[in-house]
Amino acid sequence: MPDVMVEVRGLAKTYRRADGSEVQAVRGIDLDIYKGEIFSMLGPNGAGKTTTISMISGLLAPTAGRATIGGFSITTQGMQAKKLLGVVPQEIALYPTLSARQNLEFFGRMYGMGGRELQKNVDEVLDFTDLKERQKDRVETFSGGMKRRVNIGVGLLHKPQLVYMDEPTVGVDPQSRRRILDTVIRLREERQMTVLYTTHLMEEAQELSNRVGIVDHGQMIALGTVGELIQKVGEDDRLILNIGEQSVPDSVRTRLLQEVPGVSTIEFAPPPPTNGNEHPANSQLTILAQRGRRALPVIIQIVNEARIDILSVEVREPDLEAVFLQLTGRALRD
Amino acid sequence: MRKMLYIALNDLRVFFREPGSLVAIVLLPTILMLAIGYGIGQTAIAPTQVRVDVLNNDGSALTERLLGQIRAANNALVLCPMDDQDGSCRLDAAQPLTAEAISRRLLDKVTQAALEIPAGFGAALESGQTATLIYRSNNNAASPGIALQAVQAAAQQVGGAQVAAQVGLSVAEAYPPVGFSDDADRSAFRQGVYDRATTLWADNPVRVDYVQSTAPNAPATSSTQAGFGQSVPGMGSMFVMFTVMTALYAILRERRNWTFQRLVMMPIDRRSILAGKILMWFTAGMIEYGIVFGIGLLIGLNLGNDLLALLLVMVSFTLCITALTFTISTLVKTDAQANSTSNLLALSLAPLGGAWWPLEIVPPFMRSIGHISPVAWAMDAYNKLLFEQGTLVTVLPEIGVLLAITAVLFFIAVRRFKYE
Ligand SMILES: Nc1ncnc2c1ncn2[C@@H]1O[C@H](COP(=O)(O)OP(=O)(O)O)[C@@H](O)[C@H]1O
Ligand SMILES: [Mg+2]
Repeated sequence: MPDVMVEVRGLAKTYRRADGSEVQAVRGIDLDIYKGEIFSMLGPNGAGKTTTISMISGLLAPTAGRATIGGFSITTQGMQAKKLLGVVPQEIALYPTLSARQNLEFFGRMYGMGGRELQKNVDEVLDFTDLKERQKDRVETFSGGMKRRVNIGVGLLHKPQLVYMDEPTVGVDPQSRRRILDTVIRLREERQMTVLYTTHLMEEAQELSNRVGIVDHGQMIALGTVGELIQKVGEDDRLILNIGEQSVPDSVRTRLLQEVPGVSTIEFAPPPPTNGNEHPANSQLTILAQRGRRALPVIIQIVNEARIDILSVEVREPDLEAVFLQLTGRALRD
Repeated sequence: MRKMLYIALNDLRVFFREPGSLVAIVLLPTILMLAIGYGIGQTAIAPTQVRVDVLNNDGSALTERLLGQIRAANNALVLCPMDDQDGSCRLDAAQPLTAEAISRRLLDKVTQAALEIPAGFGAALESGQTATLIYRSNNNAASPGIALQAVQAAAQQVGGAQVAAQVGLSVAEAYPPVGFSDDADRSAFRQGVYDRATTLWADNPVRVDYVQSTAPNAPATSSTQAGFGQSVPGMGSMFVMFTVMTALYAILRERRNWTFQRLVMMPIDRRSILAGKILMWFTAGMIEYGIVFGIGLLIGLNLGNDLLALLLVMVSFTLCITALTFTISTLVKTDAQANSTSNLLALSLAPLGGAWWPLEIVPPFMRSIGHISPVAWAMDAYNKLLFEQGTLVTVLPEIGVLLAITAVLFFIAVRRFKYE
């Protein structure tokens, strides 16, 4: 049994809106995060990831349940618990008019550092996040990726054993994303840190994680290693049919489910809205099917008979996306 | 505690880096303070104007000399009704200035003092007899106003020792009705006045010195003092409000940026975070006062005799506004609300409290209403310190009121402040 770093039991949060209505953002989450692992919470926007992180970092008071960090209760032993923890919020929580170094120095002081120790740690973080050259520039002049790196740096300043990273790659270019993912892996490999990582991108969860928890509507609907989770969907292939601007009548769905052996789930995604001058994106018909490759000719035939033209077909091996699709009937992307 | 100081320092740095902050806290207050100070200095609404009603039952040449000497002793005095110009006496056209009218004006604090010159005053003086002047004031007996000092000096010059000792004063709530029931009563009063005046004289010759030092052309009552003595504390106080109320917007922005949430997730006591923010905005307010009063000093404003008292008034007012701001911050949800609330509050509390023009010139009921504004209490204290040679003791009531409001508001703010 590995050492538990974070223990969460029955955690729940109900927000009360100004108009009196209630939002059940988190509905009873149980979770153990082990020392030295990267644990990912994978779920779409609004699933309750940020709310969960806020509760287990001492920002939000839970409506129910409890959480401990290194054995310290986050609600009753907040100071001790928070000392073990670094947080990288989803927002870029920095002072835009201060330089990278000034931001790091200020937050370092908030962790009780000062003098030589502070300067040394700030230098190390600037090295680690590759920001040494721009350390004296105001954060507001930085690119999105650089801001993200400063944001991460603040969470690492006091060399915590545990760091929460809430969607740290949102809104950055692919190169910066690669860099951030490499940084996360280095935290585990070089520093033996425990990382709680949240994302709505299954590729990230799949690449980084020792274990993944899939969250939806405030609940942990599946939890395990990537392999274990994919096992759950069995050998299902995911077939993605691009069908231009056409829509799919219900009769086609019914026929596919009834006539094609092995089809378990059918999902239709209309094209995302465009900005006018772009080409309209394709509608997608996604089908989960056992031995999907072999069923493909029958599927194409049924679709064609409904006078729907297929522009292209993509066949994907089982992945976390498929797991989510099977568990919820919806795609992970918003 | 150290973390609290670092939070305050960091926020100050962020505040001063804000584009336009120098315009808002240096340039704008300076321009308005100079413009209004110059304007007031040139007109008759300066708070240095102390109205003294005169009921002249005598009309001799000697009486005229006496009034002339009073005017000469302190050019801040306006003798009513004879020196009324542009309504500076605030006389009611429908009503002559009778003894009753004078009493009422005194009670309503339209005038600071009233002087009754009895019939035969001049004749008595000339014949070497004792002549009595009746001086009434709404000032506390312990701190005689400049009007009394002027009258005393004038009386000394006109009648010498004979008259000087006849000047009396009484307190507004307790002054006796005009007219006495019989002669015994009158002479008893005269004796009382005599004794009182003698002691005053004997105890406090310095007051005469003061009166002489503020004779015409002395810098203390120049138009600089009259104008900037009003506009420096007035505009200073208004811009302290504007500066401190920037916090409404800054707090919202810190939550939006998540820097506030980041602090809450760090190992810091929540109260220290709030205390750091409060300390920061209090300091910003004091810096604003420092700038406006500093420039006032440069252009020749006399800050009075008690700098410690002045500092304490600034501290109390700034604390009060900081407490008000943090109380309101628990209600403000959007930038638009922050903006309109701070403008509305600053632009109503300032004129209501006499930051734009002295409350002296508004009707008594407006003056009373004005005292729901903390600005009014601060301005009362500044007037005492800058115009009436007040000391810490004389401004303690105002400081007390400001600190009491502060305590109540901070109590609410600390309990209602949200960290989530
Ligand atoms: N302060 C709040 N007040 C009301 N509802 C909220 C608040 N914050 C989040 N929510 C709601 O709670 C749900 C979960 O939000 P969040 O935890 O931010 O999800 P995620 O981080 O997974 O995108 C969403 O439906 C969101 O609209
Ligand atoms: Mg989120």
